[in-house]
Amino acid sequence: MKSSSAGWGPQWLLKMSPDKQDTLLKMLVLSIAAILSFSTRLFSVLRFESVIHEFDPYFNYRTTRYLTEEGFYSFHNWFDDRAWYPLGRIIGGTIYPGLMVTSAVFYHALWFFNITIDIRNVCVFLAPMFSSFTTLVTYWFTKELKDAGAGLVAAAMIAIVPGYISRSVAGSYDNEGIAIFCMLLTYALWIKSVKTGSLFWSCLCALAYFYMVSSWGGYVFLINLIPLHVLALMLTGRFSHRIYVAYSAVYCIGTILSMQISFVGFQPVQSSEHMAALGVFGLCQMHAFIDYVRSKLSVEQFNILFRSIVLMGAVVSLSVAAIGTATGKISPWTGRFYSLLDPSYAKNNIPIIASVSEHQPTTWSSFYFDLQMLTIMFPAGLYFCFNRLTDANIFIIMYGVTSIYFAGVMVRLMLVLAPVMCILSGIGVSSTLNTYMKNLDVSRKDKKTSKKNVDHTYPFKNEVATGVVFLVTAFLITYTFHCTWVTSEAYSSPSIVLSARAGDGGRIIFDDFREAYYWLRHNTPEDAKVMSWWDYGYQITAMANRTILVDNNTWNNTHISRVGQAMASTEDKAYEIMRELDVNYVLVIFGGLTGYSSDDINKFLWMVRIGGSTDRGAHIKEADYYTPQGEFRIDKEGSPTLLNCLMYKMCYYRFGEVYTEGGKPTGYDRVRNAEIGNKNFDLDVLEEAYTTEHWLVRIYKVKDLDNRGA
Amino acid sequence: KIDVSTHLVKMSTSITLENTGKSPIKSFLYALEPSLQNYLSIITANVKDKDEKLGVSQTTVASKKDLSFWRIELPSNLEPGKTMTVDVDSSYAHALTPYPAEITQSQKQQVLYNGNVYFFSPYSTKSQTTTVTTTNTAIESYSKSPKPVSQTDRTVTYGPYEQREAFSEAELRVHYENNSPFLTVTNLERIIEVSHWGNIAVEEHISMRHTGALLKGPFSRYDYQRAQDGLSSIKAFKTVLPAAARDVYYRDEIGNISTSNLKEMDDFVELELRPRFPLFGGWKTQYYIGYNVPSYQYLFNKGDNYALKMRFVDHIFDDMVVDQVTVKIILPEGAKNMRLETPYPVTQGENQLHFTYLDTTGRPVIVIHKSNLVEQHIQDFQLHYTFQKLLLLQEPLIVVGAFYLLFLAVIVYVRLDFSITKDEAKESKMRVASLVEEVQSAHDRRSALYQSYDDAINKYKSTKDANTFAATRKKVDADYKSLTQQISDLQTKLKNEGSDLAEKVNELQVSDRQYKDLVALAITLAEKLVSGKINKQQYLDNEKINKTKREDLDSKMEALRSSLA
Repeated sequence: MKSSSAGWGPQWLLKMSPDKQDTLLKMLVLSIAAILSFSTRLFSVLRFESVIHEFDPYFNYRTTRYLTEEGFYSFHNWFDDRAWYPLGRIIGGTIYPGLMVTSAVFYHALWFFNITIDIRNVCVFLAPMFSSFTTLVTYWFTKELKDAGAGLVAAAMIAIVPGYISRSVAGSYDNEGIAIFCMLLTYALWIKSVKTGSLFWSCLCALAYFYMVSSWGGYVFLINLIPLHVLALMLTGRFSHRIYVAYSAVYCIGTILSMQISFVGFQPVQSSEHMAALGVFGLCQMHAFIDYVRSKLSVEQFNILFRSIVLMGAVVSLSVAAIGTATGKISPWTGRFYSLLDPSYAKNNIPIIASVSEHQPTTWSSFYFDLQMLTIMFPAGLYFCFNRLTDANIFIIMYGVTSIYFAGVMVRLMLVLAPVMCILSGIGVSSTLNTYMKNLDVSRKDKKTSKKNVDHTYPFKNEVATGVVFLVTAFLITYTFHCTWVTSEAYSSPSIVLSARAGDGGRIIFDDFREAYYWLRHNTPEDAKVMSWWDYGYQITAMANRTILVDNNTWNNTHISRVGQAMASTEDKAYEIMRELDVNYVLVIFGGLTGYSSDDINKFLWMVRIGGSTDRGAHIKEADYYTPQGEFRIDKEGSPTLLNCLMYKMCYYRFGEVYTEGGKPTGYDRVRNAEIGNKNFDLDVLEEAYTTEHWLVRIYKVKDLDNRGA
Repeated sequence: KIDVSTHLVKMSTSITLENTGKSPIKSFLYALEPSLQNYLSIITANVKDKDEKLGVSQTTVASKKDLSFWRIELPSNLEPGKTMTVDVDSSYAHALTPYPAEITQSQKQQVLYNGNVYFFSPYSTKSQTTTVTTTNTAIESYSKSPKPVSQTDRTVTYGPYEQREAFSEAELRVHYENNSPFLTVTNLERIIEVSHWGNIAVEEHISMRHTGALLKGPFSRYDYQRAQDGLSSIKAFKTVLPAAARDVYYRDEIGNISTSNLKEMDDFVELELRPRFPLFGGWKTQYYIGYNVPSYQYLFNKGDNYALKMRFVDHIFDDMVVDQVTVKIILPEGAKNMRLETPYPVTQGENQLHFTYLDTTGRPVIVIHKSNLVEQHIQDFQLHYTFQKLLLLQEPLIVVGAFYLLFLAVIVYVRLDFSITKDEAKESKMRVASLVEEVQSAHDRRSALYQSYDDAINKYKSTKDANTFAATRKKVDADYKSLTQQISDLQTKLKNEGSDLAEKVNELQVSDRQYKDLVALAITLAEKLVSGKINKQQYLDNEKINKTKREDLDSKMEALRSSLA
């Protein structure tokens, strides 16, 4: 559709053969889309600086630096004693190394050519670069599904779709940044191998799958979706040798390769999440065998055989599954997976999963916010796919339907939905325009021909067509504006540096996090242990280079719970826990002075819940921290348990003397809009070690034992 | 005269020498006080009221092994009985001891200076006075002996004393308040990267530490903000950069430090730096700043010989103390014969190679170390080297070559066929496409020939020159024939490819033949007109009909031509 609209180029364009014009236009559109997808992600670099964002990326950055400095072997065997004190963490075996290896490869390749770029910049710009690649892959994928026109639209859409940008802006150095590329690449290669039935494409698909497994835990979605596709094809009677070849090759090679990642290990043959793939693999073999037998036997003989085999097969497979589950050979379904199927599962059972904001169910507004017109065009695309069912179309339909369900369960999985939204909308928009563009009498030449063979199917054909084309164009234009706006407003703040508008219109920068981390880095003993809530764990290890107790890799629930208990207890009780955990410094985030709302007091209820979720913290009850009316208040009305717990005291130590806002009493908390209830208290077991300029980060030093009571 | 108002001990001694011996002397010895000799940063001497620096070199004296002596060369021989006044300035870093060594946030910092009341000299001294200048009037205590001792404002005066032996000592001890910033750069790495394209990039990696009294107890942000106490802490300091400095940045290993101000003065650029956190006693920080300066101010050349003249260290803050400095000078690739001249002795490390963008053999790096520097060390060094100007073109050529190779590779790749099997249909399609293209171009040229026919006819009509016309016509006819032949050849080929486009080409040929006939008719008409067989009106009528027909045919052929593709 794009190529038809661009027929009026300069003279030299006309002289080229249509083939060449076509290629040129495609290349042009694609490269513009790729460049756009790179540059639209650079807002934060231009506004702030080339810096790593958020929390998880800091860990990835740190490990990448380790990998480039120490080499792959020691990275693989890395035991990190800076995290999870006193347990430590085996990094090599508990991460998906794809991201780090990718950037290390880029880094070394660049250095080989004496392009001396800093590893931090490689990390910062990796995600935008991979989104450029994603744009190209999307084009190819959609082209395989439909045609080049739809591919171009989909590529242009995915270049700027906010749902994807949210995870791939410059500096957001996370697994998802490259995983989406891997996922689409795997899908595209899968479609290609389904269409051709060639081993070559299947092997490539398995390799892409391996890359995907190495980079993101979301590969589980892939290894369930592809079998689902095969199953659907079987049920619709579309099973053929091509699919048999494609799936057998992809499953076997892919599984063997995926087991090479040490974090995945034997899961592909043991855990229940992977069983569907194995089952479909078995079905495939049976189906192929049955097809073979059927071709050799008469109909009656076959029917008897078929029935008996189906019965036996069902019994055997069920009992194997039951025994496997009972003996623990097949691991039970993990909590995260349950929460996918049942949104309320996590909230009821595992507070640590529910406490993460990105694990919350998605609201309707965020669908529109992240996808805008795609939400409307998505059903249209589905319609066009159903209209002309092929093996490939069935795949994209399944992908679309399943991912929209998952995205509804977890905000984070919006990321998986965004590409398929773009693809289906691309197909929708392209097909719509294809239909109506034909009816337009734009040039006189066309008028002549259309007069010859007018089919009066409906009146005002030209007018309707014009209307539709204008409408779609208007949609597309608002889409671009919306995407740019969302990217610039919502997804381009590094969260490590905050900025606010000053009264005179200037910009105030709150760089308190780095101030505190840098202070820790240079002015505490090398082996100091810092206790903080787990959100800040990765940042502290990466930027302050100090040992921490818990971090964002929330693998040990009881340990986190212990920290939660310390924060929620009174000073004496907390002191015991802190001595037990050998803590030297405690770090809290406090936004009461500046009005930064995602601070530790607002997260405090999660600490209470997580702290109370284990046996040792059974005495901590959420209800104690509420007022009798069931409110969470920090002012005089608040529950005394809250007003005397360690977290409260650390946040509000000496805050009672500060005037924060004109016309308000001292100690007025600007986040919770209340005057604090407990002022003028002293800390017995802690002393203030450092507080940043805007009080965002407060660091306390745990006093030694002999000073106690002094 | 001893100035201890900052964190440095600045001692300026004005010595009046008298030669009591028999022979003229060329130099004299200056002894450092034992308590200070390990802290010496720099020592300079000049004759009173003259700017010229005197030669100063370290020597040892056999009888006093543990003392450090400096030999000061006099500008002229000092004849027996004559006198001469020489000013000797020396600076000592870290010579002041904070006392108490640990203070709380609100306390003021007090330091202790331990020295010698007397002029410590290998010669006997006739008359002397010693003054100690402190930061302010808050002097806790000072040595009261030997008399006379007096204090006015911030100055303590000892003496005058008469006739003291060589190496006489008496303890001088001043305990006073000193809240001046006790900031020490513990390590400075200065990297100067010279580019012959007109730019010199300077980057300084600085680790610094507050070397005053250590902070005891908590740091309270509330008190710090409200009362502005923490007098001994360092909030910010000013760095002076060269006037031409551009693109200044101020960062550390975790990113940009947003708290800095740049002021451009007439002859320098003042950069106000605020570390991420205020520095209290014992606190450390690290950062780096960098900037670019144009090379014409610092790089001089004569032919292929170059000289770089820059400051060895630059200003970091007032009264700065630098414990360790490493200067790395990165020269362009291909620089040779490096020779370094420094204003004071330094240790030169082993030369290194530095690889960065587009380097092949690496850039030579000169590494220089020096320890214990103060402000007086801000002096120029000179680095001489040779560099062939043609080498400047090397890197652009590499880029050009790389792109050339890339395009060449693409060109070759596109033209090569790597498939094992032949795709007949596709190849035939491509052949057809190329044939069609040829047909089109041949037809275009043929259309141009029609135009030449018209031109020839018009010319013939006006000049009535039959011979020229015949010649032109012949020539055009020949061209026309060859083109038509070419097109029919192509048509055959297209037919062989089994393309239905052959039909269209055939149609084209048919219309063309009609057109040619019309042209022939037009020629006959023109001939008739010239020879007077028909009159003008007849000719015009016929010609008009003819022309309409030709135009119709022309547009038909044009349509056919474009429908080919």
